[in-house]
Amino acid sequence: MTVVGRAWNRLSLPGKLFFTLAPLLLVTTIAVIAILVIFGQLIVDFLAANLPIVRFVVAVTAVLLMSVPTAFLIIYMEMKVIALMNLRLGPDRVGPYGSLLSVVHGLKVLMKEDFTPTGVDSIVFTLAPVVVYLASVMSLLVIPFAPGLFGQDLNVGLLYFFAVGGLSVVGLLMAGWSSFNKYSLLGGLRSAAQIISYEIPLTLSVVGVLILAGTMSLNQIVLDQRGSFLDWFAFKQPLGLLIFFIAATAEANRTPFDLTEADSEIVAGFATEYSGMRFGFFFFAEYVNVFIMSALIVSLFFGGWTAPFDWPWPVHIELNPGGLGIGLLILLAVAPVVGTLVLAAPFWVARSSMPAWQALIIGFVLLNLLIGLGLFALAFLGWEWVVGLFWFLGKTYGFVFTFVWMRGTLPRVRIDQLMGFAWKWLLPASLLNLFVTAGAVVVLGR
Amino acid sequence: MDRALRRRLEARFGDVLSGPVRQRHDETEIRIGPADLTVVMRALHDEPDLRFRFLADLAGVDSGSAMQVVYHLWSETTPDWLRVIADNLPRDDARIPSVTFLWKGAEWMEREAYDMFGITFEGNRDLRRIYMPPDYTSFPLRKDFFLADDAARSPGAGVRHMERTHSPRNATPAAVVRQAKGA
Amino acid sequence: MATSAPISRRRASADDPRVILEEQVGVFEPVPPFPPRTEREAEFYTLGDGEMFLNMGPQHPSTHGVLRVVVKINGEVVTDLDPVLGYLHRGVEKLCENSDYHQAICYLDPLEYVSALFCEWPAVMAFEKLMDVTVPRRAEYIRVLSGELLRIASHALFMGWMALDLGGLTPILWSFIERDEIVEMLGALTGARMLFNYYRIGGVNGDLNHEFMSRLGDWMTRATEQHDANVRLLNENEIFVRRMRDLGRVDRETALRMCMTGPNLRATGVPFDVRRSHPYSVYPELDFDIPTRDEGDCLARYLLRLDEVKQSLRIIDQCLNQMPDGPVMAKLPRLLRPRPGRAYAAVESPRGQYANYAISDGTDQPFRLRIHDPSFIHLQSVGLLMPGHLIADTMAVMASLDPIMGGVDK
Repeated sequence: MTVVGRAWNRLSLPGKLFFTLAPLLLVTTIAVIAILVIFGQLIVDFLAANLPIVRFVVAVTAVLLMSVPTAFLIIYMEMKVIALMNLRLGPDRVGPYGSLLSVVHGLKVLMKEDFTPTGVDSIVFTLAPVVVYLASVMSLLVIPFAPGLFGQDLNVGLLYFFAVGGLSVVGLLMAGWSSFNKYSLLGGLRSAAQIISYEIPLTLSVVGVLILAGTMSLNQIVLDQRGSFLDWFAFKQPLGLLIFFIAATAEANRTPFDLTEADSEIVAGFATEYSGMRFGFFFFAEYVNVFIMSALIVSLFFGGWTAPFDWPWPVHIELNPGGLGIGLLILLAVAPVVGTLVLAAPFWVARSSMPAWQALIIGFVLLNLLIGLGLFALAFLGWEWVVGLFWFLGKTYGFVFTFVWMRGTLPRVRIDQLMGFAWKWLLPASLLNLFVTAGAVVVLGR
Repeated sequence: MDRALRRRLEARFGDVLSGPVRQRHDETEIRIGPADLTVVMRALHDEPDLRFRFLADLAGVDSGSAMQVVYHLWSETTPDWLRVIADNLPRDDARIPSVTFLWKGAEWMEREAYDMFGITFEGNRDLRRIYMPPDYTSFPLRKDFFLADDAARSPGAGVRHMERTHSPRNATPAAVVRQAKGA
Repeated sequence: MATSAPISRRRASADDPRVILEEQVGVFEPVPPFPPRTEREAEFYTLGDGEMFLNMGPQHPSTHGVLRVVVKINGEVVTDLDPVLGYLHRGVEKLCENSDYHQAICYLDPLEYVSALFCEWPAVMAFEKLMDVTVPRRAEYIRVLSGELLRIASHALFMGWMALDLGGLTPILWSFIERDEIVEMLGALTGARMLFNYYRIGGVNGDLNHEFMSRLGDWMTRATEQHDANVRLLNENEIFVRRMRDLGRVDRETALRMCMTGPNLRATGVPFDVRRSHPYSVYPELDFDIPTRDEGDCLARYLLRLDEVKQSLRIIDQCLNQMPDGPVMAKLPRLLRPRPGRAYAAVESPRGQYANYAISDGTDQPFRLRIHDPSFIHLQSVGLLMPGHLIADTMAVMASLDPIMGGVDK
């Protein structure tokens, strides 16, 4: 054995890994730099010529990244809001007002054992959560968050949404069927029956909006409602809104239509046998679905990112930081210190029991809040998409709150009442809505 | 104490009663043999001046010398509880007709009496053990029941080891043989 | 889908590695591994066309304890149902036979743990009958007062459970507030919040104290409003009412045949209440109504309990007004040896007639203490009420009958 071989054998596992990976990394880096140097212009030209691809990749990444915090936020909101409705405290330990508890839940789910019971069809069992999660995340692609801030402006956006959203039922059915458990089977079949039934009124109820807007692109539908809040389709299509809201509740498996995971009847429905991150995928998908359904209601009926009214006193701030010259640097250097001291002073003066460092921390936090608020105000006034995002998220979370509110208030309906309601009431009502809208458009000429 | 009820019962069932009608506090008690139970109960339930429509309780009792089944009845015709004691059931093979033809709700109470005393209720469709495991062999509320014996005899003893044989050191074949010999 | 045949796996026993166990894994079929013992069992465990078994419990989110129910379903429709008991069986009757008359009372407490006073009461009454003890009137009034308070607490909890089994999250927490108030004040009176061991042979363990009275006074001033607020959570809820109406309907004759008592029987129109039908304690001196309803469905059972709460409030009010002075315990020897004899005593517990049948053989231990529990009786009628309804209704029907598994399994 050579010297090198002996030295290699003496290394621990991390050492071996380091000495294996470091040269590989070096070689890879050099190769990438070489490729960029030689073909750089070519790649840039190619990407510039195919900008939609770049846009698509960026959008998909952004959507995937935003789905998890969205789910965290809604989970926290649900825990806290329902707790307050129940006259409980709710989460109050992790983070301010317990706001980090859902993050901790996410980490916990990530660290739990990923358990596959004996007897399950392991391939389908593993794929099911992925299908469910992707189906809901992919729907986020077409939602217009703000002017210019959307994944893809498909001219069949709404159709795409229904097509992809309908995929989730396949995932639920896969989960129920492959779990080798009767509760799961019942839950999967219930979800299939329920989602397929409610897909029809859901789709039919928006046809009225499509007739009025004349397009399937969600961006165009939002643009059509620009103006005051009286231009929202909610006032032209009240019946459609009602049907859409009910059917969306059923589509998102929320109370009072959460029969697929009715814990007092079939334990956890399709998710009974899942644990760890696979269960987490179902869990996240449910809350992302709530967000998506709220976003869609807002986009279709409540004007999306458009403001409900024009701000009557337009503000224009002529701010040119470059004009300060060297003063800008001095400001940047001095302002944080002075601001912290100024904001800390009242606390330090007013409360003699408070040590100086606590007052300083409070002052620093307050300063940051103020600066953040100021920057947001600037951005709000300066950039249209910030305004749009503000209104969009405000309205959307209003509807998310409604879903949570319903969860805290209503009991669950029975499966026969659920199906009867879809076929006997919602479907005729949505057809009526469609005919009346079409007739009105023909008679009034839009 | 409802003297009128006593007179009615004596007049109606005088020939089948195996003892005097006793009364104490708000209870009236009659004793009959198991063979007469069906007739007596049907009469108590149906006849217009008795109308004991409500079976308040059904209890098995091991009196030490014989088995009893005790029924408590309620009627709006009397302020008393009526206690019907079906007495003198043999201890080794206690049999009595079921009253499920009158009160279907007696089914589980009879199952319980069967489970606890081994009294067989003839006519009960569903006379299986209700509390104890299905492979349990004895009847816990009988006066001749000794807990240690039956726990050892129950099939559970073979599946989950008793504490003495739990540790592998004690579970050597020699130790098992020693235990079996009762050392 | 994997094969539906049972998969068996051989593994070494955790207790003794030399013992190889062959165990069935995967789907658990709740069919007993022995030939059917009775006609009914054979009938139940034979599957018809398109039917399957669903095993609910003993670990299930909503079986109110450790009840196991084997449900035979056809699609979503329940065709038959077989409750399997014994998971909480403690042999209380046997324990009581081996303890003296005072000790027996504390064994009876944990039977119906949400209304524990009503488990002590009939036993105490039966023992008093055996020994010909006269209970002081103040003690009787205290018994009635604490009992009716606990009845309200139990019914409040019932309301919450009912909603929880139908998927409503909020009412259980609202009703727990009310229950907690009552349980706290009973804690001040008896020294324990749940298992009181308060009624004694010949009276009660302690006289009314200041903390109890002040808590009770506070609570009585707003009990009615609080009750109405809790009731309004569900009574006008369309989903709730539509699910409960016409569900688990039982008629008067069937209810009598099933030996049902209490609110479940009164919901069918039979005004049978032990407090009036066979008066005990000081109930004849008190003025209250026996609410009845004729529908006999789950909604009627639910609404009837709400009506009873109002009557209980009336009784509490009268008890406080008429509370006599005097001792709360009769003079009794320390060692109780009643003459040989038999006694039967029944009280109206929140779930129905709770009765005890005590036999004395002249020693200081009861020769036999039979416990008649209304939960046990009511649970068997689930099998009668359920067929034809849906899986979702199983828990609703069961909750509307309000069984407590501690009492069912004794």
